[in-house]
Amino acid sequence: MEYCADPSTLEGLRWLACYLTTPKHQLFYLSFLTVFALLAITAPVVMIMGFGGAIARKSQIAPLRWLGTLYTSMVRGVPDIIFFLFVPIALDQLVEYARHKIKCPHITDPVYRGSEFIVCEAAKMPLSDSAAWVHNTWSFALAVIAFSLVFGAFAANTIFGALNAVPHSQLETARAFGLTEKQTFWRIHVPQMWTYALPGLSNLWMILIKATPLLFLLGIEDIVYWARELGGSKTGYFQYPHPDWRLWYFLALLVFYLLLTWLSGKIFNRLTSRYSLDHSSNPTKPLLKPIEAGR
Amino acid sequence: MPQSPRRNQSVTQSDTVLALRGIHKSYGELDVLKGIDLTASRGDVIAMIGSSGSGKSTLLRCANLLETPQQGDIFFHGEQVKWHTKRHQRIPSDKHQVRRMRANLSMVFQQFNLWAHMTVLQNVIEAPQTVLKKDPDEARELGRQLLTKVGIGDKCDQYPSQLSGGQQQRAAIARALAMEPAAMLFDEPTSALDPELEAEVVRVIQTLAEEGRTMIIVTHDMKMAYDVATHVIFLHDGVIVEEGTPDQVFNNTRSARLKQFLQSSGTFG
Repeated sequence: MEYCADPSTLEGLRWLACYLTTPKHQLFYLSFLTVFALLAITAPVVMIMGFGGAIARKSQIAPLRWLGTLYTSMVRGVPDIIFFLFVPIALDQLVEYARHKIKCPHITDPVYRGSEFIVCEAAKMPLSDSAAWVHNTWSFALAVIAFSLVFGAFAANTIFGALNAVPHSQLETARAFGLTEKQTFWRIHVPQMWTYALPGLSNLWMILIKATPLLFLLGIEDIVYWARELGGSKTGYFQYPHPDWRLWYFLALLVFYLLLTWLSGKIFNRLTSRYSLDHSSNPTKPLLKPIEAGR
Repeated sequence: MPQSPRRNQSVTQSDTVLALRGIHKSYGELDVLKGIDLTASRGDVIAMIGSSGSGKSTLLRCANLLETPQQGDIFFHGEQVKWHTKRHQRIPSDKHQVRRMRANLSMVFQQFNLWAHMTVLQNVIEAPQTVLKKDPDEARELGRQLLTKVGIGDKCDQYPSQLSGGQQQRAAIARALAMEPAAMLFDEPTSALDPELEAEVVRVIQTLAEEGRTMIIVTHDMKMAYDVATHVIFLHDGVIVEEGTPDQVFNNTRSARLKQFLQSSGTFG
């Protein structure tokens, strides 16, 4: 017969094994992927936003410069949590409002009636009859955008500072040899910028990792949600009754985050020494983009 | 063809590599250059001397447009630098022209300015590859040759921070040579070096002079100016006070100002 057929008869390890593989636990394990997905999508987007923001702030074109400065300084002055709560709702309403205008042009009533935001059925995002995964993906996408906006601004600040930290003489030399502005930027300025940006970006990555439980705040079924859900005491009503085990579940999350940040620290240390511009202390370390030793 | 060193000053117009005419440069109220003329013909080694703040480095930087003079004209192989005015400031109007000139007037800086994220060889082949679009293998081959020539062929794969100041400056000279420039501009190439390291850089510059390369050297080193130059220019307060052959300038000094300067610099008196 099946291994976990009747939980009430199971004992010890076998009970635990069956308990830890219930469908709900499998959802819990899957939710770790949500965290990784958030990190994997957000990190590159944050870097692009960071570069964009920093370049905008350094731009010769005044409106672009103002936009970049506005973006980076605005986000810096607002608590993260406010942003995380505000952005998804604002975006959601914005999208629904736009769809409302396009799909239901015949409705002339204002979308704000009293204190309520009402759009026609066809404008709902996602549509109310969509599958659960569509709803989940939509709210996850909104969360990614909120994370990217906030952390993009921080990254922009870091990269802006790092770009300014590169000695002017290094760039002037490139120009003196006839390199174009673009070549100077990508071949000299950016490669040298890393050494100044990495400490800040490393810090930012740690903060990003530690901010991932905010997904829970946005109503996404992430690891915090499942830890609370599964850890709470279960009466005899449930297949696997147990007292309040939230302590253990949260302990598991704690260890998970600790491992993740520890590993990240290791990787960033490696990167920092790789992009270091001072090679005098360690002559034998791996070279940055070494030229193959062709004769 | 290598030119004979110490060639005669009387040159035909077609031999003129770089000509500066009536160069004025000021920073706000401060007039740094007050109308300078300078002509560098092929094979000339021009030493510019003068006390700090006399404007000699600024003049050198005007020559490859790292600084923009407010007045005056610059001719490169007879081709005039084109200007236009933007927000009351005169700037070069043709970026291609500026880059073409710069690629032909390699500069050696006081602080070497080797690109810190690249190995020595990468430093040398960077501009030949990105600016001159030279074949990578060819550029590398030339780079190794040049580094060997300046005596640091064994340092190709080291980073600038692993080299002594003298080695760094020699690498910077190799980097400038790799552009196969029409003229080389030296901005106080030995001022950041202690005497021992200075000598090895001076030797390299001397070799280049003997090969007949066209060079403009801003320097505090009167001995090098005397030994290497075909023509010496003494700048004071933004004007050329005296110029001529090293013999005229150092041994038959006319102006009181230069006499005083040479006395205080201690080499000649």
